[in-house]
Amino acid sequence: MQVQVMIFGQLTDITGKSELMLYDIPDTDTLIRTLLSIYPALSDTKFAIALNKKVIRENTLLEGDNNIALLPPFSGG
Amino acid sequence: MDLQVGKNSKNTKMSERKPKNIFSKGPIPASFIAESIQKHSSQKAIGGHSIFLGQVRADQTENGIVKAIDYTAYEDMALEKMHLIREDIFAKYPLTCMHVHHSLGEVAAGEICLFVFTSSAHRKAAMDACEETVERLKAELPVWGREIMEDDSHQWKVNQ
Repeated sequence: MQVQVMIFGQLTDITGKSELMLYDIPDTDTLIRTLLSIYPALSDTKFAIALNKKVIRENTLLEGDNNIALLPPFSGG
Repeated sequence: MDLQVGKNSKNTKMSERKPKNIFSKGPIPASFIAESIQKHSSQKAIGGHSIFLGQVRADQTENGIVKAIDYTAYEDMALEKMHLIREDIFAKYPLTCMHVHHSLGEVAAGEICLFVFTSSAHRKAAMDACEETVERLKAELPVWGREIMEDDSHQWKVNQ
């Protein structure tokens, strides 16, 4: 499964970009492992994964069109 | 005025379920806030307004003094989330109306970045709803503030 990942906030300081395309990602656990292998510094940062605009807390299968985003702690207002 | 609000509120009847836009580029001008208050003079069932204004603070940090905050958001998700917060607040308090505006992009220290405006027949509902809305949106909206220091370095804002 090919997935496009949107990256926000302080995480863009680590990735250097706000969008990322990854391949062979069947589920969100694989996504996290892959991200950490590309960007080890992500392991020092807190972030949540949003799948189709909802934060997920358990491993989730990625099928079809997915909207994936990495969300560091919010700091609006 | 560059803000998108007027346009949106006209469309409210046609698309009640569609999330309203809350974002506009740059600081929220005091004149916009004044106009927004003025617009409510025709709604004579209102007896109390409550307004919260968030202002960018020139924080002194170990990395220097904050001169501006550059806001970014996952806009689609933030608008959906704000829509849910709005529904919750309307279900909980007898409000006449609620308006929320949040800046995107750069807002200098001393300028307004958040405007929350609630109105009701009696003051308590407007005041409580305003406070709860501010607390919830700061905790739940995917918005990030990049603090720009006087030497142009940056750090990421942490909400308390």
